[in-house]
Amino acid sequence: MASPHLKIDGLKVSIEDKQIVRGLDLEVKGGEIHAIMGPNGTGKSTLASALMGHPAYDVTGGTVTLDGQDLLEMSVDERARAGLFLAMQYPAEVPGVSNANFIRTALNARLGEGNEVPVIKFHRQLQEKMKSLNIDPVFAERYLNEGFSGGEKKRNEILQMSMLNPRIVILDEIDSGLDIDALKIVAKAVNDLRSPEVGFLIITHYQRLLEYIVPDYVHVMMQGRIVRSGGRELAEKLEAQGYDWLKQELGIEDETVGAEA
Amino acid sequence: MTEGTSTLASVVQELSRKYAEPEWLKEMRESAWNSYVNTPVVRLEKSDLSKRSWEIENLPLDVQSTASDAVDALVQSIVESGAPVLYVRDGQVVRTEVPASLSQRGVIVTDMHTAVAQHGELVKAHLGSVVRTDESKWAALNAALWQGGAFVYVPKNTAVDVAVHFVHEDTGAGAGIAPRILVVADENSSLSFVEVHVASSEKASGVVTSHVAEVVAKANARVTFVSSNQFRKGPTHFATSRALVHQDASVDWVFTDVGDGYTVGLLESELQGSGSRSTIRALGMGYGRQHLDLTASMLHEGRYSTSDIVMHGVLRGRANSIYRSSTHIFKNAVGAGSEQHDRMLMLDSTARADAIPMLLIDENDVQRCGHAASVGRIDENQIYYLMSRGIPKPEATKMVVWGYLQPTVDAIPSAGVREFVSNLIDGELA
Repeated sequence: MASPHLKIDGLKVSIEDKQIVRGLDLEVKGGEIHAIMGPNGTGKSTLASALMGHPAYDVTGGTVTLDGQDLLEMSVDERARAGLFLAMQYPAEVPGVSNANFIRTALNARLGEGNEVPVIKFHRQLQEKMKSLNIDPVFAERYLNEGFSGGEKKRNEILQMSMLNPRIVILDEIDSGLDIDALKIVAKAVNDLRSPEVGFLIITHYQRLLEYIVPDYVHVMMQGRIVRSGGRELAEKLEAQGYDWLKQELGIEDETVGAEA
Repeated sequence: MTEGTSTLASVVQELSRKYAEPEWLKEMRESAWNSYVNTPVVRLEKSDLSKRSWEIENLPLDVQSTASDAVDALVQSIVESGAPVLYVRDGQVVRTEVPASLSQRGVIVTDMHTAVAQHGELVKAHLGSVVRTDESKWAALNAALWQGGAFVYVPKNTAVDVAVHFVHEDTGAGAGIAPRILVVADENSSLSFVEVHVASSEKASGVVTSHVAEVVAKANARVTFVSSNQFRKGPTHFATSRALVHQDASVDWVFTDVGDGYTVGLLESELQGSGSRSTIRALGMGYGRQHLDLTASMLHEGRYSTSDIVMHGVLRGRANSIYRSSTHIFKNAVGAGSEQHDRMLMLDSTARADAIPMLLIDENDVQRCGHAASVGRIDENQIYYLMSRGIPKPEATKMVVWGYLQPTVDAIPSAGVREFVSNLIDGELA
């Protein structure tokens, strides 16, 4: 399949009539890793949820295309089948639905009727991926995220990423709540997936994750926009010096959304 | 009803004649009939029975109907699995398959009429002892008119390791359908009993059906009793199931109803013995204009008796159903404990559900008593999450609903019946 191309133009997103994302431009292509950094409350997670199509978020302006197709016209499941994958910060718990059954149903939904993955092949593949993510094999039959710890939920998101062959991957604060060992495991899974056929958008507070997943581009979000872009050295500078120098340069006093008015 | 009363009194006599019943049973039927006639129609809190008609004329007295394909396949799959099965259609016994190995160990599995003829003393000792003939208008109706039905007796120290099946089909022929089940598990025995009630075509409206099941679990006996139903629109259905649980015995109920009927149901364990235990797992999938008024009840009389009630209702269309869970801990039931969990899920805005938990505690020294009840719609975040992995909305909804229901279906100790119930549920989620 051709290299993916996600293009965001002037995106505006509101939740309950409050505009959170205020005109955001970004392009992610296959083989690229983009990191979006920024303090709390600057619209990073809203961007991720809006791209996936969460029903609580209203897109009030701008366009988003994936391979030239209008992403915003698609339903959530169509976006997923087009190759978009969002590792969520707070994935839902679904009692009574086993992890394995869920992932298999999701995979088959992508493959389409008549092309379903054989059951035995699926379970072999699932067990291999679980092993490499250091997930206990019993989690295959556990109910989806029910009673999982924060770290287990995050690894389960990464397991799904590894199983579902996504083309554009968004990781929304995948590093929060992970200890250093789990962080390395997650980073390895991302690096293993890295290829010209996959583009990444990594949302994070901390530079720590970016030591293990080296980004090609780093963007800083404040007040619902990207205010500065650069290479990996930008992340390092932010880690060492914080955000104040950048706020000063830009004349921003409060970086959170809605504070500038 | 008055016009038919005298005819029906003669039907009661005709039943006794047809099955050549002993005098005690003939008297029991007649006395039950009088009770039925003399008991006024009651108005339940959420089910106004005075607005229902009580037509019971035209009892089917012989087999004229044929089995539906689905029931045929179900019975066949049970027979092939080697499990005992009793198949009754419209009150008439059509098939009895009991492995010789069971009979050799003294286990009795037969229809009620044969049981009366061959094991009269056993039946006489227990029939009407758990569900009294005069306890309600509908219990009286059943006691007067029951036909077909199942009788199971498990001797002391005997474990029956295959589930005993009772398939009861109502093709809609005739009016009064009154299956009666009597299960007696003697001391230190174990049994799984699976009843499947199938409505294979629509029945006239205005008629009444009354199902009664009695379970006696003697000391240290373990009984699993499954009642899988399809209460359809038209009649008023009554279903009364009660177990008497002796010392250290346990009774685990699994109840399912996939239907659109007007039904008043009671599942109850009388935890008489010390250390007795009971669980109720109930599942309702209501559609159309279903009115299911279901009560799961635990009566704690014995010391250190424990119980657990879990009810899941899924409602579609204009279904309007009531799930009551009731725990009564009587004085002197020291150390008793009980939990209740009820969750109702409404799939359409026109559906309505009530979850009513009740705790009546007369004893101060109890170990734990809790209840949790919720009524609501499907969680949008769950649907969003499943869809975000590529699963279309209808399938995601189905998965979430199945998530509620699966554990109860899995508790049915019969692959054939699990599949049968699963197909019914899938049919309503399509």
